[in-house]
Amino acid sequence: MNVINILLVEDDTLDVMDARRTLSRMDILYKMHVSKNGEEALAYLNELSASGGVKPDIILLDLNMPKMNGLELLSNIRKKSEWKDVKVFIITTSEEREDKEMTQKLGVSGYIVKPLKFNNPSSIDSFNLMIDLLNIKNKS
Amino acid sequence: MKISHLIFLGFLFILIMFTITTYINYKQAEKVNENSEWFEKSTIVMQQSNRFQRNILSMVSGLRGYLLSAEDHFIQSYDSAAQENVKILEQLQAIIPDTSGQSISLRELVKLNNDWMHDFADPLIRAKKAAIRSDSSLAAYNALYQEKMVIGTEININRRLQQKFRDFTNFEYQLRTARSRLLSESIRQTRTISFYLTTFSIVLGFLISLFLAYRISTRIMAMVKMANTIAAGNYGVKTADRGNDELSQLASSLNHMAEVLSENIRLLQRKNEELDQFAHIVSHDLKAPLRGIDNVITWIEEDHSTELPPKISEYIQLIKGRLLRAENMIRGILLYARVGKQNLQREYINLNALLQDITENLVQKPGLRLEIQPNLPEIYSERIPLQQVLSNLISNAIKYHDKPDGYIKVYVRRPNDHYEFFVEDNGPGISKVYHDKIFAIFQTLQERDSFESTGVGLAIVKKILDDRRQKITLISEPGNGTTFSFTWPK
Repeated sequence: MNVINILLVEDDTLDVMDARRTLSRMDILYKMHVSKNGEEALAYLNELSASGGVKPDIILLDLNMPKMNGLELLSNIRKKSEWKDVKVFIITTSEEREDKEMTQKLGVSGYIVKPLKFNNPSSIDSFNLMIDLLNIKNKS
Repeated sequence: MKISHLIFLGFLFILIMFTITTYINYKQAEKVNENSEWFEKSTIVMQQSNRFQRNILSMVSGLRGYLLSAEDHFIQSYDSAAQENVKILEQLQAIIPDTSGQSISLRELVKLNNDWMHDFADPLIRAKKAAIRSDSSLAAYNALYQEKMVIGTEININRRLQQKFRDFTNFEYQLRTARSRLLSESIRQTRTISFYLTTFSIVLGFLISLFLAYRISTRIMAMVKMANTIAAGNYGVKTADRGNDELSQLASSLNHMAEVLSENIRLLQRKNEELDQFAHIVSHDLKAPLRGIDNVITWIEEDHSTELPPKISEYIQLIKGRLLRAENMIRGILLYARVGKQNLQREYINLNALLQDITENLVQKPGLRLEIQPNLPEIYSERIPLQQVLSNLISNAIKYHDKPDGYIKVYVRRPNDHYEFFVEDNGPGISKVYHDKIFAIFQTLQERDSFESTGVGLAIVKKILDDRRQKITLISEPGNGTTFSFTWPK
């Protein structure tokens, strides 16, 4: 099994713990880097591409963060051609339609509403998609 | 100039015109009157002078007759004619003004006549009377006759007399004609002036009213337009009005009112935005720590449920209950704050379809049947607010239902200018004490932690109805079910 590289961009410690717990329940090997906000994430990504390091397979992105929020980071990522195809899943508390629409426009693979519970009705599809994706990537 | 002054002046001017016209005509009437009087007098003069002339002719024929026949009746007619002439003369002298040409002519006439009487008629008559008595008198008479009559002086005087009469009469006719012409001329003049004055007054009146109407009406219409614009929601307008009359004052008041309105609306919008922000902050930022707590509690349960002493488990359940309540309250606050921000669009609503939608989205309970009045009308109104009200009332009825064979009836009545909706159930009923309280936000009649309720359902109903100035009434008592009824505008 391959190790999946995951970038988690999230400022709330408890939410980070929640993500770790959920991912560890899945039967996958993964490596996760956590950035506290968009600015740090962007710096991390730039450093990776500069040093030729391995790009993340999946970015789990929170929307509400200080310094640079999720939408800004997303639009910055999509501007660079090398990051265009990275799979991004939004994990947020916001159920606002505008956020859903904006992220759709910028191109995301899924929109999950916190908490990352398995039976959250508004994001179960995205969640399943993420799991499938992770499993596929893992198996390949 | 003030409009009231302008109107007043306009009317005053027209009135003056008409007064002048009336005065001119009044004067004219006087002239006509005066003329009639003069013509009356002139007629009398003509009549009398004719009679005078005829008397003179009588006297002449009387004289001739007597001289010829010595019969007394000739003398009588002579005398009576002479006497009448004295009276006629008095009359004529009274009527004809002293200074006029006619007066002079009359005097000449009279003089001629007197001369004739004095020099001819009277001596001859006396001689004739005397001639009867003696021959010498007869001879004296004949001599006198020869002297006076035959030579022709007498005839000359008569001719001149007749001529004078003709002149007198002609002159009087001329005077008449002249007078008549003058009068016609004066009447024509008066008519012309009256016509022009009246026409001018009418035209002027018309122009003044047109001018006033235009000035007043256009400015009023401008202000009406401005008021309508304000009513339509655009508060930034201003009307540019010149002049300083009553309408300008109105215009400046309107402008001021629009400014104040605009300012107040801005203030209101700002307050609303603040409120929105507040609600957003409350819901969003409050949620985060609550979620954190929820997560940790869940993790404790997931990781250590077997190791926990029963007391701790119990406490954890209490924490979870309170967390749920907090989350519900936050959700309720957001919902409540959002009410009233929707677009007030009207559309055609099939009430049966709407109620079908609502009941599909609500969780039904067994033993509870929902009876919706069939063939409800189609109404033209705001869909979302109405849906919210009905949904909240029905869901409350479902939530609090407690009987194995319960029903909820929904029906509509249509008194004159509004609709009346009814949601009736045979649930536990609500004591009169709480009939007002239940509409307050977060007031529930169950214990705080035993029920999953946001506590804002009825508060939202009340808010939606209050915003539209509608009423909601409640008929209920414990054990006798509940009927909510509310009005909805047409």
